[in-house]
Amino acid sequence: MSMPSREKMLAAVRASQPAATPLPVVPAFTGLASVARFTAALTGISGRVVVLEGWHALAAAVSQLFPADYRLASAILPATVAVASNTPIDRLAPIDLAVLRAEFGVAENGTVWLPEAHMLHRALPTVTQHLVLVLDQRNIVATMHQAYAQLPDVGGYGVFLAGPSKTADIEQSLVIGAHGARSLTVLLH
Amino acid sequence: MSQAPNHADRSERFLLDEERTTWHDETLWFIRQKRDRAVYATPEFQELRELASQIKDHTLSRLAEYLEQFEARALANGVHVHWAADAEEHNRIVLDIVRQARATRVVKSKSMLTEECHLNPHLLAHGVEVIDSDLGERIIQLRDEAPSHVVLPAIHLKKEDVGETFWQHLGTEKGLTDPQQLTEAARQHLRAKFLAAEVAISGVNFAVAETGSVVVCTNEGNADLAIGLARVHIACMGMEKLVPRLSDLAVFTRLLTRSATGQPITTYTSHFTRPLPGRELHVVIVDNGRSQQLGRPDFRASLKCIRCGACMNTCPVYRRSGGHSYDFTIPGPIGAILSPNIDMRKHASLPFASTLCGSCTDVCPVKIDIHTQLYKWRQVLGAAGEIPASKKWSMKLLSRVLARPGLFAAGGSFARFGLRFVPHALSHAPGYNPWAIARELPAPPQQSFRAWYAQQRPNQA
Repeated sequence: MSMPSREKMLAAVRASQPAATPLPVVPAFTGLASVARFTAALTGISGRVVVLEGWHALAAAVSQLFPADYRLASAILPATVAVASNTPIDRLAPIDLAVLRAEFGVAENGTVWLPEAHMLHRALPTVTQHLVLVLDQRNIVATMHQAYAQLPDVGGYGVFLAGPSKTADIEQSLVIGAHGARSLTVLLH
Repeated sequence: MSQAPNHADRSERFLLDEERTTWHDETLWFIRQKRDRAVYATPEFQELRELASQIKDHTLSRLAEYLEQFEARALANGVHVHWAADAEEHNRIVLDIVRQARATRVVKSKSMLTEECHLNPHLLAHGVEVIDSDLGERIIQLRDEAPSHVVLPAIHLKKEDVGETFWQHLGTEKGLTDPQQLTEAARQHLRAKFLAAEVAISGVNFAVAETGSVVVCTNEGNADLAIGLARVHIACMGMEKLVPRLSDLAVFTRLLTRSATGQPITTYTSHFTRPLPGRELHVVIVDNGRSQQLGRPDFRASLKCIRCGACMNTCPVYRRSGGHSYDFTIPGPIGAILSPNIDMRKHASLPFASTLCGSCTDVCPVKIDIHTQLYKWRQVLGAAGEIPASKKWSMKLLSRVLARPGLFAAGGSFARFGLRFVPHALSHAPGYNPWAIARELPAPPQQSFRAWYAQQRPNQA
C-alpha cells in the first residue's frame, strides 16, 4: 500500500524546504483615523456615508434613505422579515434591505468589520438587495494593521466589507451590484 | 517532425486583430497606471513589499510545520481537511464530497487551482452541474474558453462578444452591449443558481496557520453569497497559500488589490473559520508539483505569488500577446516561471516570451525575482536540449564567433560588404530571419567601430 498523500506531501515538503529564515516583526503602521478619511475612502469605492445626529435618529434616517416599502431584516430596527442563522433560503431571497451593526471601520480603505454575530444569517449581507451598516464613529482605526490588532479572533465567519458588490469583468466598465448588495450605506453615529 | 504551436505561433493568432490587440494593450496599461496611483498614495508600500516577501520566505522555509499547524487548528474548528498530491486526487476528493452530500448542483467562485486541476470537466462528466459564479468566469464558461488573466478572466473579450454569448445562452436581446444591462442579466441568471446550489466551491487567497481560517477575496460577493446559502463549502487551496499569523493579513490585504487593480482593498475580504452546526467546511490542500518547485533553489520563490496579476498588466509581451498565447493556467511572466516545473517540454517557449526588461519584478508585491528566473529557466531549458534547433545552432555559432576576435572582425566586414548586395527579400526572408518579420535591418555602416577607433588614435597626444 502506498503512503497516504498527507504523509507523502509533508515528507516532500520537508525534503524540499530551505533553511529556516526569520519571521519579520511588522511595525505598527499608523495614520489618520478620521471620519473624513474614512468617508473619502468609502465614497471613492462607491459606498455612501451619512452622519446621524444620534442613535435615536436611525429609524428616520433609514426611512428617508429608503422611502419605498422595503422588506427589511434588522437586529436594530423593527424588521418586517424575521431572520436567524437557520432561516430558510426562500425567506431570505426576497429581502430588500438589511440594517446591521458594524464593529469598526478602517480609514485607509473605507472598510468595515462585520462579524457573524451582527449578521443574523451568514448570507444576509450578500443576499439583501441593499445594505445599511451602523457604525460608532469613535470606532474608526487608521490602517489594516490596527484593524487586525482589534480582532482577538475572527469568529466562525467574518468579513471586511468595503462598499457595494461590484464588477468590471465586461471591458473594465465598473458596474455596481454584481451578486451582493446593490448599495452600501454606512450610518455613523 | 511537426512542431506543436509555441508561444510565438499562438501570439500571431492573437495579433491578427490589430484593433483588439491595441485595446488589450492599452486597457492593461491603464490598470498598471491605476496600480501606480494606489501604490504612490501608500507611503509604506515598499516596506510592505519587503515584509510580504520575508513573511512568504519564512513560511516556505517552514512550510511543513505550518501545514501541520493549520491542519490541527482547522480540525479543532470542526473543519474537514483533505490532502491531494496531484490534480487527479484533488478532483476525486471534491467529487467524493459532492456525492456524500448527495448533491448535483454546485456553484463555484474564482479559483485558479480548480482551473489548474480541470475540476469542472471532471464534475460535469460525473453528472454534477457546476456553475462558475464570478461574472468573468461565467462568461468564459458559457463560451467554453479558459481564463486569459488571473484577475480579469475575460479581458480578451469585448462587450459585443459578451452580448452575443448572453443572447445565445441567457436569452438576452440580440445586440445588447451595455455592460450594466449585461451584468444585470447575469445577476438574475446566477441568483437562481446561488439559491439552488447545494455545494459551494471556492478558492483560497490566504490560509492562516495560527487560526485555521481560510480567507477569500472577491469584489462581486459571489463567494460569500454561495457559501452563506449552501450546506457544504469546499475550499481548494494550493499548499503555498499559508501565512503564519492573522496579523500578516494586514500586510497582504494592503498589497493585493493595490497591486492588482489599484483598489485599496477587495469589496469582500472574508474569513471562514468554523462551519455552522449542521453544515460542512472542507479544505483540500493540494501539492500538484509545488513541493517539487520548492526543491528548486533558483525557482522556489515563484511559490510566493499571491496571484495579483500585476506582472501581466505591466508585461509588454503579455499585453500584446494575450493570456491564451501562454496555453497555461497562469499566463504572463509568473506563468512562464511556474509552467516549466509542470512540463518543461510543453512550456519550453514561455521563458522566452519576455524581453527581460524586469518590469514584472519591479511591480511584484512579494518581490519575486521573475525576470531573473525567466533567464535561469532559459539556461535550464538549453541544458536539457529543449531549445529549437535553429536557436540552438545560431547561438552556438555566435558564441564561437564572439570568442574569436579575428573571426568576428572578418565576419563583420563580410556582412557590411555583403548586405549591400543581398536583395531585401533574402536578407528579410521570414524563413531565415524571423527577427526581420516586423523589423527593418539598419543600414550597414561604412566601417566598423574598431576601424574608426584605430583612426582616432593618431590624433591623440
